[in-house]
Amino acid sequence: MPNPRKPERETITICAYCGVGCGFKAETIGNEIVRMTPWKEGKANHGHSCIKGRFAYDYWCHPDRIKTPMIRDSIEDPWSEVSWDEAFAHAAKELKRIQGKYGRRSVGGVSSSRCTNEEIFLTQKFVRAVLGNNNIDNCARICHSPTQFGLSATVGTGAASQHFDSILQADVIMVIGANPTEGHPVFGSMMKRRIRQGAKLIVIDPRRTETVDSPHCRADVHLALRPGTNVAILNSIAHVIVRENRHDTEFIKSRCEWQEFEQWAKLVGSEEYSPDKVGPLAGVDPEDIRRAARIYSTGPRSTIYYGLGVTEHSQGSTGVMCLGNLGLACGMYGREGVGVNPLRGQGNVQGGSCLGSWPHVFSGYRFVTDDATRESFEAEWGVELDSEPGLRLPNMFDAALTGHFKGMYIMGEDPVQSDPNQNHIIAAFRKMECVIVHDLFLNETSKFAHVFLPGSSSLEKDGTFTNAERRIGRVRKVVEPLAGYQDWEVTVKLMNAMGYDVEYAHAGEVLEELARLTPAYAGASFELVDRIGSAQWPVNADAPEGTEVLHTDQFPRANGRGTFMLTEFVPTRERVSAQYPLLLTTGRILSQYNVGTQTRRTANSQWHHEDVLEMSLADMQAGGLHDGDRVTITSRFGSTRLKVVESARMNPGVIYTTFHHAESKANAVTSDLSDWATNCPEYKVTAVDVTKVTSTKSKHAESSGKRAAHREREAEEV
Amino acid sequence: MTDDERPAVTGDVIDLELLITMANQIGDFFAPYPPDRAREGLRNHLRTYWDPRMRSALLAHIDAGGDGLNLRVIEGAQQLREKAADKSGYYGPPQH
Repeated sequence: MPNPRKPERETITICAYCGVGCGFKAETIGNEIVRMTPWKEGKANHGHSCIKGRFAYDYWCHPDRIKTPMIRDSIEDPWSEVSWDEAFAHAAKELKRIQGKYGRRSVGGVSSSRCTNEEIFLTQKFVRAVLGNNNIDNCARICHSPTQFGLSATVGTGAASQHFDSILQADVIMVIGANPTEGHPVFGSMMKRRIRQGAKLIVIDPRRTETVDSPHCRADVHLALRPGTNVAILNSIAHVIVRENRHDTEFIKSRCEWQEFEQWAKLVGSEEYSPDKVGPLAGVDPEDIRRAARIYSTGPRSTIYYGLGVTEHSQGSTGVMCLGNLGLACGMYGREGVGVNPLRGQGNVQGGSCLGSWPHVFSGYRFVTDDATRESFEAEWGVELDSEPGLRLPNMFDAALTGHFKGMYIMGEDPVQSDPNQNHIIAAFRKMECVIVHDLFLNETSKFAHVFLPGSSSLEKDGTFTNAERRIGRVRKVVEPLAGYQDWEVTVKLMNAMGYDVEYAHAGEVLEELARLTPAYAGASFELVDRIGSAQWPVNADAPEGTEVLHTDQFPRANGRGTFMLTEFVPTRERVSAQYPLLLTTGRILSQYNVGTQTRRTANSQWHHEDVLEMSLADMQAGGLHDGDRVTITSRFGSTRLKVVESARMNPGVIYTTFHHAESKANAVTSDLSDWATNCPEYKVTAVDVTKVTSTKSKHAESSGKRAAHREREAEEV
Repeated sequence: MTDDERPAVTGDVIDLELLITMANQIGDFFAPYPPDRAREGLRNHLRTYWDPRMRSALLAHIDAGGDGLNLRVIEGAQQLREKAADKSGYYGPPQH
């Protein structure tokens, strides 16, 4: 063991991995990071950390980092290294050429939750003010866009109602479609602490996750439902609550729309949602549905935490509404220990959501169709803005296939790897004429790009992040940006190259601008965050140091009341058949992060060097498979290969994999179905077949095309 | 914004089959609502979230008979043409 070197400097910043957003102390010698230690004063983590934030930071100086801008005329050509100025001029010339030829709406952009609030805000400004349309989206489209939609519809705010510490006062914890001990480990540890103190735990998840059963964590009820039946199960829980008169009439009468409650109670109270009907449909014991309903409604403080297992479905938004309905019906809002809380995926995914990288709303979730809102942005930005909603990310790809969408600025995202139905995405990119990738590394998407702008990691920039509990904290530059610029500076220079004159002396000035234009962030500033550490929005004149618990007096809706949405269960069109008899679902593990761009480039890979397919013993025996066999997984959309392992965590009929490695190509098989309200992809349900690989020479069976898949699905439904 | 764009590319902005699927999914959500609220909710959803070219393509398809669309969707989408139904800044399903 070498002697630890004495650091010269310490910088307090935020981990950019999951939505917990732990505070860290980065210790450096010169421009080298020698250690990351969790920050004791960090209000999200109180000095705790997981093995990603603590150890997986060396990706920032990995030899794969691209430090020089590159351009090329065709994706068949090799890249040419150019100066920053040449790259900006080339990108601007191409975007203008495309808009001149195909129209103003033929280009757009996407931002990433790995970037800061300031950068996300500037990306929307670039698209709206400079490109002159609203074709701007962000990666929350493919994860938590239903959260925004479903919670806004019921309680008026599309974000967590609580602060993380609130769980330490909960008597009942319901976890749905999330696996916090792996995906949000520091929060997961806090949850375990509360469970050790006696809180009850209800888990709703197809997989017997580590949250269901691991040291210090055991579910009192586990509903191992079939993927795609969330809404039926949640309605059935509601059925038991209203039929057994377990709802909180006083709360509903004083805080909610009573008439809407009555309509909702009639819907969920119908025989269709009785546990005896829903149990067999979802593959769970009806008695367990009753137990879950009784435990949740008894409380007295019951809280819900959920993840992508709720949102990434064709009824994702409806599933989120079910949770809002449930919380309101039982009066589980507006105090400590209760609430409904999304566990968001990335360090800044709440900020990514708040700051206007959406085709229909400006920062602060205010509509582009609203004249007064638009005028306030026009006054600040000095240009006229488009009053029509733009294309959502999946729609941009759909429009590329019809020749209507030709150019894209991609800040810190890798759609080819992370978006569903990979063959479809690749075909769309091949039809674009100018793809600008702004990233740390060459990735799957840069194979189809014409301009590459080197990005900076969160360790190389200044700004703010907003974590899953709405906490705005400071990201501080720990080391100098390897390629010379922080990401927000690159976006500004791109705006300048397009002829839009704007400059900021530092990222704090961007925050000042976004605070002027975003009510919930009105009081946010570098000065405030430097002084008090962090602040949860809304932070404004009424709450100068932020707000821990939302909805204590009223809900931010026109009449101040919460409402109930009618959440009819509509089965997904993605179903098993004789040809595709198994349902594939996906998740994450502790040591790796999402598609692995960062963690795979660190020593954390020694804990997880490949993704494997988890399968029940019964399914393995039925398929003649043995532990460790290489298998081909085929869906209606494409195929991929993985190693299969037997897992007691899976029920027969449902199989599971992680998606941390590009070569696993999990999205080669995922479907093109999406949430009815937001187009969030249905990643969590794909009907597949699994066969043993017999010859190593046989080529993958490729997708038969989207239309063909549609036809096939239609045919099977008949 | 003055519209100086030329219709350089013809045809639907998004594959019609996909638009029909998306529209019917929205229709499915509003099924449990009373008919007037379902129409209003559907119209507002399309107005707030759909690119104008997607809305025009859907309306053109309805004018051509609306093959494949359920009736609730047709009735709701037709409200896009009613000035009286215009409520800007609307979010989500029907409100009072």
